[in-house]
Amino acid sequence: MKLTEFTATLGLVLGCAAVAHSAELRVTVKDHKGKSIEDAVVLAVPADPRGAQHSKAPQDAVDQVDKQFVPFVKPVFVGSTVRFPNSDNIRHQVYSFSPAKKFELPLYGGTNAPPVIFDKPGVVVLGCNIHDWMIGYIYVAETPFFAKTGPLGTASITDLPPGEYSVRIWHPSMDRAEETTSRQVAVTAEPVTSAEWQIGLKPSIRVPRVSGAASPSYP
Amino acid sequence: MFCAATHTARSDWILAGSAALNHDNNVGNAENAASVVADSRADANVSLLRQIPLGDGFSLATGGDVSGQIYDHLSGLNNASVEGILSLKKKWGLGAFAPWSRAGISVGRVDYDDGYRDATLYSASLEAGKRLDERWNLWGKYAFEWRRAAPAESDLYGVSSDVFSQRGGSFKVGVQYSISERVSLSVGSLWRHGDVISTTQPGAGIFGNAKAVAPDPTFGPDAYAYRLVGTTFGARLGLDYSLTAHSLIGIGFQRLDTHARGGNDYGDSMPELTWNYQF
Repeated sequence: MKLTEFTATLGLVLGCAAVAHSAELRVTVKDHKGKSIEDAVVLAVPADPRGAQHSKAPQDAVDQVDKQFVPFVKPVFVGSTVRFPNSDNIRHQVYSFSPAKKFELPLYGGTNAPPVIFDKPGVVVLGCNIHDWMIGYIYVAETPFFAKTGPLGTASITDLPPGEYSVRIWHPSMDRAEETTSRQVAVTAEPVTSAEWQIGLKPSIRVPRVSGAASPSYP
Repeated sequence: MFCAATHTARSDWILAGSAALNHDNNVGNAENAASVVADSRADANVSLLRQIPLGDGFSLATGGDVSGQIYDHLSGLNNASVEGILSLKKKWGLGAFAPWSRAGISVGRVDYDDGYRDATLYSASLEAGKRLDERWNLWGKYAFEWRRAAPAESDLYGVSSDVFSQRGGSFKVGVQYSISERVSLSVGSLWRHGDVISTTQPGAGIFGNAKAVAPDPTFGPDAYAYRLVGTTFGARLGLDYSLTAHSLIGIGFQRLDTHARGGNDYGDSMPELTWNYQF
C-alpha cells in the first residue's frame, strides 16, 4: 500500500470513529409554568479543556430587518468575526457599550460596515443610535459547544465528544445569574443525551417603538 | 421608482396614523354656565415624515400631515387641515439614553365647515428630552404658534372683528413611565400665554376686555366669539397599551384652566380614547 493510500484510509477510519463517537446534547428550556422559552443560549463546557479545542466557523452575521436586529439573540464562539449587514432601505448606526465589546459602526447602509471581532467572552448588547427601540444580543461563548433554543424551547448541540460537561443557560430576560443554572451533564456514546432546564424570566421592558398621545410624535 | 429613490437617499420614511375619540365639556371656552356647550368629536391624523440622518448626531425630518375633526353636534367646527413640517434634531451622545434636542417649524392650513374659522397656521418649536432608562422618559417643548384667519366682514362697535387670528407661546413638559412590557403611564403639563377665544353670549365684562369680537353662529344665533389675552394651565394623564410593536391604544384625561383678561376664567375637561400606529 502506498503511503498516500495508507494516509487516506487512516483518515477515513479516524473520521468514521470520530463521527461514531460524537453525540448530540438536546436541551429543552421552559419557564416555571412549563412554557417553552425561545432565544435561550445553551452552553456546554467540557470538563477536560482539551475537549474545547475546536475550530468553529468564526464568521457570523447579525442582520437588520424592519428596524430590528435579526436574530434577536446570536451566540458566537470567542474570536468570531461578525458582520452587520443592513437589509433595511435606510441607514443604521450600530453600537454597543458592553464590557465584552465596545464598538460603534458609523451610519451605513447595505453591507458596507466593517466586520467586528468578538474576542472576549460575555454578553454584548446591541443598539442603533437612530432607532432607539432596536436591541439585540450577541453571546460570546468561551466554549465551541453551544446552541440557541427555537420556538419550541429546544436547542441541539451536535458533534459533542462523549464526556463530562458543565452545562448552563443564558437568556436576556433571565431572573437570576447565569452561573446558577450550571449543571453537570454526562454525554455518553448514545446518539442523543436529553436534558431539561426551568428558568424564570423577568418582564422585558423595552424602549417603545410607537409614542403615545402625550409623547413627542416622531423620532 | 419610489423604492429606488428611497434606497438611493438612505432616508427613513416614517408613516404614522392616529385616531381619537374625545369629549370636551366646554368646546367654546365659555365662562358663563349658560353658554357652556359640550360636544364629542372624532380626530384622525396621518403623517409622512422623511428622516435623514446627517451624521454627528444630527438628523433632519421633513414631511407633513393631514388631519380631520368631526364633531357630533357642532358641525360648523368640523375641519380638515394639512401641515408641512421641517425639523432638525441633535442627539447629544450615543445610545437610547442620550439627551436630544430639536428645533422645528411648520406651516399649515385648516378649513372649517363654518368657513369663518379658516386659518393659516405657523409654528416654531424647541424640544428637548432624555430617556433615563427603559422605563422613564422625560421631555419638554416650547412652541410659538401664530394662526392667521380672515377677519369677519365688519368691525363691531369699533372693535376688531379679527377674532380667529391668534398668537401664543406654550411650554409643555411630560414624563412617561413603562409599568410593564405593554402598559405605560404618561403625565404632562402645559403652560400657555397668548390669545384665547371664548364664545359666549354678549356681556359688557368680556366685551370690554376683548381684542376682537365677531358673531359665532356655529354656537347659536346669539353667540359671539371674543379674542382675549389669557394664560392657560393644563395637565394630561394618559395610559397606553401596546397592541403590537407598531400600534397602541390609550385612554387619557386632560384638564385646562384659563385665566383671561378681565377675570374671564373658564375650564375644559376632555376624556379621550386614542389609537396610534407607526410603520
